[in-house]
Amino acid sequence: MARFIARRVVQLILVLLSVTFIAFGALNFLGDPLVNIVGPLAAIDYCDEVEAGLREDSYTSINNSRGDCEIIGEAKADFGLDKPVIQRYFTWLGNIITGDLGTSFQTQLPVSEIIAQKLPKSLMLMVMAQIIALAVAIPIGVYSAYRAGRAVDRATSVASFGLLSIPNFALGVIVLQFFALRNQWLPASFDDTSIGTRIHSLILPATVLGLGIAATYQRLLRTDLLTTLQEDFVHMARAKGMTDRHIMTRHALRPSLFSLITVFGVSTGALIGGSLVIEGIFSIPGIGSEIVTAVVRDDFPVVLGSVVVIATGFVVINFFVDLLYTWLDPRVRAS
Amino acid sequence: MPDPQLTVEDLYVRFPTSRGTVEAVNGVNFTLEKGQMLGIVGESGSGKSVTAKTLMNLLPRTAEVDGNIIFEGDDVRAVAKERRKHFWGVKMTMVFQDPMTSLNPVKRCGEQITETLRYHLGDDKATAKKKAIDLLEQVGVPEPSKRVDQYPHELSGGLRQRVVIAMALACEPSLLIADEPTTAVDVTVQKRLLDLLDGLRRDRGMSMILITHDLGVARGRCDDVAVMYGGRLVERAPTETLFADSRHPYTEALLRTIPRIDQPSHTRLEPIAGRPPELIDPAEECAFAPRCRYAQPDCLGTIPPVGGVRGQHEFACFHPANTDRGRQALDANLAAGQTVTGLQIQANAGVN
Repeated sequence: MARFIARRVVQLILVLLSVTFIAFGALNFLGDPLVNIVGPLAAIDYCDEVEAGLREDSYTSINNSRGDCEIIGEAKADFGLDKPVIQRYFTWLGNIITGDLGTSFQTQLPVSEIIAQKLPKSLMLMVMAQIIALAVAIPIGVYSAYRAGRAVDRATSVASFGLLSIPNFALGVIVLQFFALRNQWLPASFDDTSIGTRIHSLILPATVLGLGIAATYQRLLRTDLLTTLQEDFVHMARAKGMTDRHIMTRHALRPSLFSLITVFGVSTGALIGGSLVIEGIFSIPGIGSEIVTAVVRDDFPVVLGSVVVIATGFVVINFFVDLLYTWLDPRVRAS
Repeated sequence: MPDPQLTVEDLYVRFPTSRGTVEAVNGVNFTLEKGQMLGIVGESGSGKSVTAKTLMNLLPRTAEVDGNIIFEGDDVRAVAKERRKHFWGVKMTMVFQDPMTSLNPVKRCGEQITETLRYHLGDDKATAKKKAIDLLEQVGVPEPSKRVDQYPHELSGGLRQRVVIAMALACEPSLLIADEPTTAVDVTVQKRLLDLLDGLRRDRGMSMILITHDLGVARGRCDDVAVMYGGRLVERAPTETLFADSRHPYTEALLRTIPRIDQPSHTRLEPIAGRPPELIDPAEECAFAPRCRYAQPDCLGTIPPVGGVRGQHEFACFHPANTDRGRQALDANLAAGQTVTGLQIQANAGVN
């Protein structure tokens, strides 16, 4: 067990190194944060030339007596942007290890504070969505495998494929229209007043997310169950006179959960930061919408901080999924 | 004479498929007396496993079943709903071929035995576990109190099959169906398991149906042996009669495929020519005729009915082996060098 965890920690570190390295590099190639920090001042290329002594800094902004390049130079130094990319990456990495995720270029707030504020909302949405998905998919998956080819199975197949082919945002908009705007049964946007209002206002978005995943889970579970039901031990259980319900839930279900929990792990990771469309539709100030804003504004520290959190979440969740495998199948424990 | 424990009458089982209807079992009749052991022998596709699954109500929903199965006075196919719950697994139970797959890999061995006891007999957890340990001891599992907490993958094939047998015997059934119980284990383990089953059967006065493709397995253990071919029962006789004086050419051919200790060593074993019969829309003829050394024109016209001495030695053949009619047919075919179906045959086949 200790070795298993140690291997996972090494894996986490490798994943984080590669993910942050790629993110860091991509951000620096795609945009210059300075433009967003100091606003539309003099061209940065121009200042580079000034700095190199190729020309005079003769450009001054309207409301400032100092030269633009002077301001830009200060900002560069303030945010550490005057160093080469590689050096900045390792500085950033060093700070991360000490627990410092940096400061937002935009709001000047510590990134850890921003994440602490946004992440719980996204996590709550993710947890609720997964609970709904599992609560819907497992009973329906079991029943449709039990009655494979019959009316209920066919109806759920159609429903699943329907749900799978509707994009999230379309379903989200429809649900929002019908349940929140036209009928006002449930709130249309996030309400941060108390834990109760938070859960209440997340029911709609979590259902939209959950149903989409439930459709995938139901398909996977049904297929795996149909394979398991061909196994001799299922015939044996029937020969022992056990009830269908007992056979489905106590014999067939557990060995049929592998695909489902694999996808569960992956989708949980994706949901931590990936539900940005739904967060947008239902006005949830979560980490998904935060990342979008930060990317648009070249707010490197926020983007990178979120990437670190999401990647960690991904690896940690899949670590628990691996633990689940060993619970599901004792043969995995042995090897 | 009391009614037999099990009577199977005119059993037909068909499976509709996209290629046509598979006629898996075609009018099988047999009876089993209490405490007896009946061997059902046949190759793959002969309908022996389907017959067993029909008895156990294990056929897929698509199967079309016709005929009567009377077990201890009950029509098995119409057991009342309430009694159904505690019928299979309690009165009649089954052991499958492969011990590696017939135990649930994710459940402890003990739990797989106790779940039947708890459901059918209403035993509490502790009683059921104690009984499970006793059962494992009876079937010769060493260290049974340790084994109940182990998972199937921690046991060898032979041990697993013993656990399966213990599972099947948990509720003290009066009929045990064993479908090739030793095919998947080592030869050395095979004999021990068969002896164990035979001993348990005698101790408990339990009847047993032993399904096998190996005549040698049936010999010395079964009271009667029934031979199936193409979904039909082609011969049935007390075991020693069947071995000494078989009537159906298929039985005779099967006997030639097993080595015998009374023949000189290096006697060539004779394979049966041709392939097993097509079960989709079979022709109205003896299913064995295309492979039969005795085949005559009348074999192709109609399906031979079951004849012989009812309850003693029954067989379904127009030209039975070891009879004058059979010898004439064989001589005629040998003289022609082929049978009516075009099967090439030659004299002294099987003798070096």
